[in-house]
Amino acid sequence: MSLLSQLMQTYKTLSIVGMAKNSGKTTTLNYLIRESMDDGIILGVTSTGRDGESTDMVTGTEKPRIYLAAGTIVSVPRKLYELADAGLEIISLTNYSTALGQIMLCRVEDSGYVQIAGPVNTKDQKEICGEMFARGADLILIDGAAGRRSIAAPDASDAIILTTGAVLFRSMKRVVEETAHIVRLYQLPVLENGNTRDIIFQNLKSEKIMLVKGNNINILDLRTGLLAGNFLDEAIDEETDYIYIPGALTNSVISDIHPSKIRRVEFILKDPTKIFTDVTSWQQFEKKGGKVKVLRNIKVAALTVNPYSPEGYYLEREALLTAMRNVVEGIPVIDVKMGGKIH
Amino acid sequence: MRLSDSKTRSETGFDHVMQSINVLTPFGKRRLKELTPFAPGQEDQLDHEFHELEGIIRLVKEKPQLSESLIETLMDIKDIIFTIERSKSNILSIVELFEVKSLLLKMNKIIELLGTASLPLSKKFILEDITCLLNILDPRKDRMSAFYIYDDFSENLKEIREEKREQERIIRKVKKTIKSQVENRYGITLTPKFEYAVSKSNKELIRIIKEIPELTQWDEDHLSMIFTVKETEEIDSANREMDRINESIEKQELLIREKLSKSVGNFSHTLKNNCDKIGELDFTLSKAIYAIQHNCVRPHLVKEHRIEIDDGRYLALEEILNQQSKPYCPVSIHLEAGVTCITGANMGGKTISLKLAGLVAMLTQYGFYIPCRDAKIGLSNDIHILIGDSQSIQRGLSSFGSEMDELKEILDNSKERSLILIDEIASGTNPAEGLALTKSIVQYLKAMPYISLITTHYDSVAESEGIKNMQVIGLANADLRKLEKEIQYANSRERIEIISKYMDYRLYHAKNNEEIPKDALNIAKMLGIYDEIIENAKKYMVGKKGNA
Repeated sequence: MSLLSQLMQTYKTLSIVGMAKNSGKTTTLNYLIRESMDDGIILGVTSTGRDGESTDMVTGTEKPRIYLAAGTIVSVPRKLYELADAGLEIISLTNYSTALGQIMLCRVEDSGYVQIAGPVNTKDQKEICGEMFARGADLILIDGAAGRRSIAAPDASDAIILTTGAVLFRSMKRVVEETAHIVRLYQLPVLENGNTRDIIFQNLKSEKIMLVKGNNINILDLRTGLLAGNFLDEAIDEETDYIYIPGALTNSVISDIHPSKIRRVEFILKDPTKIFTDVTSWQQFEKKGGKVKVLRNIKVAALTVNPYSPEGYYLEREALLTAMRNVVEGIPVIDVKMGGKIH
Repeated sequence: MRLSDSKTRSETGFDHVMQSINVLTPFGKRRLKELTPFAPGQEDQLDHEFHELEGIIRLVKEKPQLSESLIETLMDIKDIIFTIERSKSNILSIVELFEVKSLLLKMNKIIELLGTASLPLSKKFILEDITCLLNILDPRKDRMSAFYIYDDFSENLKEIREEKREQERIIRKVKKTIKSQVENRYGITLTPKFEYAVSKSNKELIRIIKEIPELTQWDEDHLSMIFTVKETEEIDSANREMDRINESIEKQELLIREKLSKSVGNFSHTLKNNCDKIGELDFTLSKAIYAIQHNCVRPHLVKEHRIEIDDGRYLALEEILNQQSKPYCPVSIHLEAGVTCITGANMGGKTISLKLAGLVAMLTQYGFYIPCRDAKIGLSNDIHILIGDSQSIQRGLSSFGSEMDELKEILDNSKERSLILIDEIASGTNPAEGLALTKSIVQYLKAMPYISLITTHYDSVAESEGIKNMQVIGLANADLRKLEKEIQYANSRERIEIISKYMDYRLYHAKNNEEIPKDALNIAKMLGIYDEIIENAKKYMVGKKGNA
């Protein structure tokens, strides 16, 4: 069974998100689009920004255009419509504007290459997806952001396909380690329904750090623990069970809190993208007994690896695939450039 | 015609109403922007405008569902006048044709909706039929807003496109045959794209694949080589054929776009007319909705210069009171040529009544319904308000200086049938000269063919011969004992609110020589000014009596 057909059994909307630029995001998108053609799946394709341009606007590396089959529903900015090589029936003009003009919803009438773009914010993206489903899309692929720091919590999609590869590090060990770290973080356990979750949700809008002690709550006048780790350490007392941080959880925040307190309390974060620590610090944190739960986590539906880096070096393909598969159990890992069976 | 200056428009609250008029289309917005007032002598045209507005108000009230659909239809209409203009001598792009078609569908929907209204509506709102052009742009007649150069536009295009698909099928079929031959013969699997990627490290495999005559190397990167099916003579010729077909498809599409653009160009006059009509409908509809929401009525126009407002409400204040769920006390004002003074208690709403007169007069002349129970309005040539504002202080002028500056401007510009509204003139200078100046201004205005309305604290101004004095009822009929009791334990903010509650803002016509009640000291006392000060002030009042 193709990767896409397999994913479709569980998900309706998938974001393709890169660990870094040039980790193979567009290649992955093209691969999945190709699969959809073979399986007769009607795709909706949109993007969290402009995409499909022949060179990547950020790094200047070459980027393939996106070939879409007839029937696909796609969002195209007005100024790029005429540049499309595919025949596009205009379905509607949306209210979302980009630097390249209003976003239009189109149906591919005649297969060909298209440059896509979409709304940047989550709410608009959800609306676009809704309209694509209404127009008959079976599954929606969102070309998401690349670079870990720019990954927004993917509210608009059910899960992500994470692209990773040699571009991250020259050392295969580090590529695998870093990727595994991110995948683990993304799948951190969700704070279960109950009293604590209710209390946090009631005060979510305040965007403040909260200390939960049984049924009581202490809201600090702080958004993040950044530069205020000591203060935070002070505020955590014997009775604190949970600490909710709406902002970033960084190395410095962790190191300012006394190890005994780290062992005792449970950290609650909005979502995994709020964690900004490197692999080693995270491991130390866990060793100290640190526990983190999130209000919502990010499902990783599949992992694609690109052994080639635009800087000119590459990693041994088979070894990379094998190493990766060993660390992310239960998640399909493939090299989209070479294709291949799903393990 | 220039009816008033921008200060008058803002101080009377006319701008506030304008900002609340919620037009939906670019054409309605333009109509609102180009709004001009009706002048004396145009009473019949203005009355006709009110008649048309009444028709739309009936539509909104009697056909709520239809009005909802109408509003929805107007909601996302785009301004494509430029595109329509362009169509006369240019070939429109597909996106532009899509927009034209969308607009046509909107027009069609409006025609359809108003057609089912079965209410007598002005011709001004009835769009011209555009079915003919719509049929050209929508040959399938499915009336969906989607657009593409469909096969239905030309038999020729349809045939060529069919040919293209046929060629694609041929190429794919040939490649598929080769694919399965290769796969069977060599035991490898090509991708559906007819590719086969080999890792460069696998030198042996590369050597084997290179020897397969049906495959050729197509691409490579640092890691792998990608092979694909070699193009046979058959594929080659099909590809050449494809190029030819693509070219003629492009030519055909251009021809069709040209033809469609020409059709749009031929209809450009009708389309632009319809856009104007949509603007008119949108603008009138939003006026109607405003009138219904704010309980406004149609003014009765009279030939002579007179303004009679029964139970008028100053909209900006009413909105605030509504939000606080407090009742609004409507005020009646009857004005005719000559000078009318509004006198009476502090906090008695004199300024609001003054502004109300201006607002009602302005709204009427711009064709809006007015916030009152009933009104008879004679049109003015000129409406001006003279009122202290913070702007003059920001400009660095003293309040007296800028007041005199504005007064001169108003006197210079006034002509027959002017409406002049003056709030507490000369209150910023010494009382002796202030009184003298006010009296003199009133005497001057009395002789002019204007309606002048003046709020003042100088009793003797209002008591002069030939001046009509409207007085605020104020606390005259209030149960002062009850008021004082209530106020006793209140804090300062509550005190003002309590006094407002007891205040009767209505005006009555005070006869000459009638004593004007002095509430200032009472109110000052109620607001907590020390007894010592109040008592002394009362003593001074006794000494002064008869002098003012």
